[in-house]
Amino acid sequence: MMNMILNLLLMPIVTAAICAIAGRRQAMEKINAVGSLFTFLAGMVAVYSVFKNGPISEYNLLYADAISAFMVLLITLIGLAVSIYSIGYMGREADSAVISLKQLRIYYTLLHAFIFTMLLVVVSDNLGVMWIAIEATTLASAFLVGLYNDKQAVEAAWKYIITCTVGITLALLGTILIYTSSVAEFGETSNALNWSFLIESAAKLDPTLVKLAFIFIIVGYGTKAGLVPMHSWLPDAHSQAPTPVSALLSAVLLNSAMYGIIRYHLIATKALGTAFSGNLLMAFGILSIVAASFLILMQKEYKRLLAYSSVEHMGIIALGIGFGGWLGILGAFLHMFNHAIAKSLMFFSAGYLKLGYHTREMAEVKGAMQAMPYVGAMLLLGTFAITGSPPFAMFLSEFSILAAGFQSDHFIAGALFLLSIVAVFCGFLYHIGGMVFGEAPQHVKKLQLETDTTLVLAALLLLSALLGFYVPGPMMQMIQQIAAIMGVGA
Amino acid sequence: MPYQNLLGLLAIMILVFAIMMLSHRRPKSCIPLYAAQSLSLALVAGIVAYTRGISGLYISAALIVLIKAIAIPKGMSHIIDKIGVDREVDIPVGIRTSLLICGMLVVLSYYVVQPFIAAFESPLARLLPIAMSVLLIGFFLMVSRRTAIMQLLGLLIMENGIFLTAMSVTYGMPLIVELGIFFDVLIATLIIGLMVFRINSTFDSIDTAHLRSLKG
Repeated sequence: MMNMILNLLLMPIVTAAICAIAGRRQAMEKINAVGSLFTFLAGMVAVYSVFKNGPISEYNLLYADAISAFMVLLITLIGLAVSIYSIGYMGREADSAVISLKQLRIYYTLLHAFIFTMLLVVVSDNLGVMWIAIEATTLASAFLVGLYNDKQAVEAAWKYIITCTVGITLALLGTILIYTSSVAEFGETSNALNWSFLIESAAKLDPTLVKLAFIFIIVGYGTKAGLVPMHSWLPDAHSQAPTPVSALLSAVLLNSAMYGIIRYHLIATKALGTAFSGNLLMAFGILSIVAASFLILMQKEYKRLLAYSSVEHMGIIALGIGFGGWLGILGAFLHMFNHAIAKSLMFFSAGYLKLGYHTREMAEVKGAMQAMPYVGAMLLLGTFAITGSPPFAMFLSEFSILAAGFQSDHFIAGALFLLSIVAVFCGFLYHIGGMVFGEAPQHVKKLQLETDTTLVLAALLLLSALLGFYVPGPMMQMIQQIAAIMGVGA
Repeated sequence: MPYQNLLGLLAIMILVFAIMMLSHRRPKSCIPLYAAQSLSLALVAGIVAYTRGISGLYISAALIVLIKAIAIPKGMSHIIDKIGVDREVDIPVGIRTSLLICGMLVVLSYYVVQPFIAAFESPLARLLPIAMSVLLIGFFLMVSRRTAIMQLLGLLIMENGIFLTAMSVTYGMPLIVELGIFFDVLIATLIIGLMVFRINSTFDSIDTAHLRSLKG
């Protein structure tokens, strides 16, 4: 099949366009579900082709190798889960007149536009186009964050767009510097900014410029990925956005920004050796993990708790990439996947707490297990999944990253990492335990979950548990392909 | 390269306009300055296009005039008129202190960037410290002013600084990338402008000091 990547990109755009003109609510919801299913299928076609036949390049602008394919899998899978969940969740918000029909239409339109921009990030060959796409993710999601239009939502959306746009501006400077170094060596060819070209010829690039560029890139895209100390927008945006959007931000958007950093990390590694960019990634990673673990212990609101947990996990992924080696890369990519699954599960469950208890404060939520047994159980099991307790998948990926740290003689970083995840485990168990157990207050609505939502939650939990026992062969081979691109043999 | 001095002069004008914007309290008086700064930037792009024979840069120059010197200033005036609050609520950092800090930023960027100039082949690389100064001044304006509209202005100044950087080190980016960047800037300004309206209708003010409820 020709133009696989283009087809993949068209699916969410068409879906968004049809949602924008849809009249009735039921129509919008159906289009949303069918559209994301088609996006998922088109994604799988592209992923399968890359997996079987190697990288695809289209129009000298789009490019998908195993790293892109992995991200496409992640984005389309979580995108599908989010759009199914949205029907129930946003439907309730519309029923109780929290949002109008017009807002719901904006929601579905922007949701798919947002998915499109993230897909564009991971399949663009030209690093300039990738920058445009990452900036476009902010633009597409800013009104999603501020959808509720109350004081706090407007504040969160403002901070989100301003902080991320400033960060992204710095990343543009990094992109310009890489382009400069490429033009100086190879002239103004049409592929001078193409990643697939740069990675082949990175050894010839001016090391000073590459160093400078990587610093701007890690600060710029790191803002978007939520690395400490550039994370200030993240807890606000995650806590104020509608819950399905929080899940999408946390599970996919942060990873897309991390993907941008990884692409530059590979160029920097070719040009300078692993030490420079790897050490920077480790430093930001450890800082994020340690800072997030303190903030998790002190949290008062559950959605902010989950947001800081995303900061922690992004730190862990950066740390894994920084440690490098087969174990580090295996751990980091598995962790991206596992975190996306478990964090969506947590946000999806927490969303129903919000609907039932009408509060974001953890202290006011008691007895979730009694009021909504299914949601309560999911929250509790999800807590074990997200904190990396066996038998859940995150235990494997965290263990792999830890092993990579000790293998590469980073004992202090490894020890700090270990201490922090123990602290996070205690913090999560304390906070979530307090909400799940006990007597539910009288005023709490005992919500009955929609069948679709029940199934989505169950599927996510099941996936998180299964991946803890067994990583499927194709997934493992895909990560081996990724490791090969990153210059590491399995 | 011919017209070196003219380009240098234009770059300095871009810096001076940035400094002048820092010395105004009323957002409205900054808007013509921003338009003038963008116009100088368009001239830089036009001259580089002419001397180097890069036809794509003519398009960039035309787009800068259209978007940054006409459309965005018009849009911002519209917002200010509509909201009807054309004054900066008390500035946390006074004008005099701001200008002093601004001077320090210029010195700092010369000091930091100078050693790297040799790494660039472009003869325009000596404009790099000026471009960096513009970037830093834009950033300073963003963090030191409280109204949403002034923060937007700071962001736009930063973007002009980035564009001057690109001109000085590489004669601009590939055309498709540049078009995309213009599109993004336009959309970003539009969205931020809409958000300024929203802040105004939600908080009855565009003072971002009201945006302090989310913490921890």
